[in-house]
Amino acid sequence: MIRFENASVVYPGGVHALKNVTLEIPDGQMVVIVGLSGAGKSTLIRVINGLVPLSDGDVTIDGVSVRHARAGELREIRSRIGMIFQTFNLVKRTSVLNNVLLGRLHDAGTLRSVLGWYRPEDIEIAMQALERVGIVEKAYVRASNLSGGQQQRVGIARALAQNPKIILADEPVASLDPPTSHVVMRDLQRINRELGISTIVNLHFLDLARVYGERIIGMRQGELVYDGTGAEADENVFRDIYGRSLTADDLLGEPAAAPA
Amino acid sequence: MTAAQEARPTGRPAKPPRSLALPIGVVAFLVITWLSLSEEIGIGLNVGDLIEDAGRGLDIWAEFLEPNWAFLPDTLGPMLETFQMAVISAFIGCAVALPVSFLASRITAPNVAAYIADRSLLSIVRAIPDILYALIFVAAVGIGPLAGMLALLFFNIGVVAKLLSETVDGVDPGPIEATHAAGGNRLQTTRWAVLPQVLPNYVAYSLYTFELNIRASTVIGIVGAGGMGQLLNAQRAFFRYDNMVVIIIELFVIVFVIEFFSIRLRRRLV
Repeated sequence: MIRFENASVVYPGGVHALKNVTLEIPDGQMVVIVGLSGAGKSTLIRVINGLVPLSDGDVTIDGVSVRHARAGELREIRSRIGMIFQTFNLVKRTSVLNNVLLGRLHDAGTLRSVLGWYRPEDIEIAMQALERVGIVEKAYVRASNLSGGQQQRVGIARALAQNPKIILADEPVASLDPPTSHVVMRDLQRINRELGISTIVNLHFLDLARVYGERIIGMRQGELVYDGTGAEADENVFRDIYGRSLTADDLLGEPAAAPA
Repeated sequence: MTAAQEARPTGRPAKPPRSLALPIGVVAFLVITWLSLSEEIGIGLNVGDLIEDAGRGLDIWAEFLEPNWAFLPDTLGPMLETFQMAVISAFIGCAVALPVSFLASRITAPNVAAYIADRSLLSIVRAIPDILYALIFVAAVGIGPLAGMLALLFFNIGVVAKLLSETVDGVDPGPIEATHAAGGNRLQTTRWAVLPQVLPNYVAYSLYTFELNIRASTVIGIVGAGGMGQLLNAQRAFFRYDNMVVIIIELFVIVFVIEFFSIRLRRRLV
C-alpha cells in the first residue's frame, strides 16, 4: 500500500510541483496518471521512490516513511520499486543482460557486483525477466543495437529483475510509435495482472489511459483533480483535468490490436 | 536601415546589439603582442639582426645534414629505456587516475569534502611541469630512468584525471537515475552507469599519455632522467650534431608510428 499524506514538493526554483496530495494506492492496482506536461505527474511518481525529495507531508510504503528514510533505508525501499523511463535510461554501451542485472544490484553485494561476478541465481532472475518481455535472445547484444520498443522492454525487464512490489512507469511510451506503445502497455498490464505488482503509469494519451487504467488519477498544476475508474472517465472528465477542450494531439489515435 | 526597422512587423524581435567582447579581445591581444615585441619592455625582436645572424648556424646545419648512422646501435639501449619508462608510467598513472577522476567529478564523488580535497590535490599535481618533476626526482632518487619514470607518472596522473573527470561530468544522467532507482549504491552506480559510458575515452586518454610520454622523455632526459633525452643531452654537450640528428630522426619515426596506430585504435573505440 502506497499512501500520500499531504505530500508537497517545491523545487529550488520555487515551482510548486505537488500541492497537498493525499492518496492511497492499494497493492496490485494498475493506476494511470494523466495531466498536461508540467502538471506534476513525474514528480508524483518520483516522490514514491524518493528520487524527488518531499518538501512537506509524507509518502509511506507499507507504513515506512520515504521522507524520513536514511540513505541505506531509502536504497532498501527503492530495491522493491522498479522504475521505467520515457527515454529507457539504458547503459547503451553494455549488453542487455548487464542492463537487466542492474535490477539485481541491491541484492548482489557491492564487491561482487562491481567486479561483475554476479551469482548464477541473479543471472537466472535476469534471464527470466527477459523471457517475460520476450527478448531473451538479445541477452548478449549491446543495448544500443536494439530498437526503441526493444529497449523499453529491456527497461521493463530491468525493473522486473528487482522482484518488485511496485512498478513506476514515467511516460513509458512517449518515445515509441503507436503499435509499439500498445505492445509495451500490454506488457505492463500483463505483469500487473500475473504478478500482482502495483503499477503506476504516467500517460498523456487519453485513449491509452482509458484502455489500460484500472484507475485514473488526474493532475493539474500539482493538484489531484480526478480519481476514478477508467470506465467513468469520459470526455468531460478529461476536459476538466486538462482545463481545455480536447484535440487530436491528446489521442494516440490507434486502437489496440487484439492481444496476441 | 531605419526604414527596415520601422517596417518590422509587430511580434518580431529587434535584432539584439552586437557584443563587443570579441573585437575588444582581439585588439587587446594585438596590443599585448606588440608590447611584448618592443625593445623597451619586451623581448626586443629585431628583424634586421635576424637576417644578419641567419647564416651563423650554417655549419651546425651542415653537420645535421650528415647523420652518423654508425651511432645508431648505441641509441637502441636508451630508446628501449625510454619506451619502458613510457609504458610503466602510463600504465600505473592511468590506473591511479581512474579512481582519482571519479572523486574529481561531482557526479561520482561520495561527498563535497572528498571532491574538494581531490580537486585541490589535482590542481597542485598539474601545476608542476614535467621537467620540474624530473628535477625533483633526480634529486630524490638520483640520475637515471627511475627518476624519469616517477616524473612521467605524476605528469600522467594529472593529464588523465583532468580529462577523464571532465568526461565523467558530461555523461548521460539517465542510466545513473535508473541505477539509483533500482537501489544501487554509489560504487555500483559508478561501475555500471558511469564507467561503461567513459570507458572508450579512458582508453583513448591512456594511449594519448603513452604518446606524450615518449615526447616528454626527451625533455626530462636533459636533466638526467634517463632514456633518449639523457643521451641526446650528452651528445649535445660534445657538439656531436651528427649523432644528435640520428636520435631526432629515430624519435620522429617512433612518435609517428605510435601516433598512427593510436589514432586508428582510438577511432575504433569511440
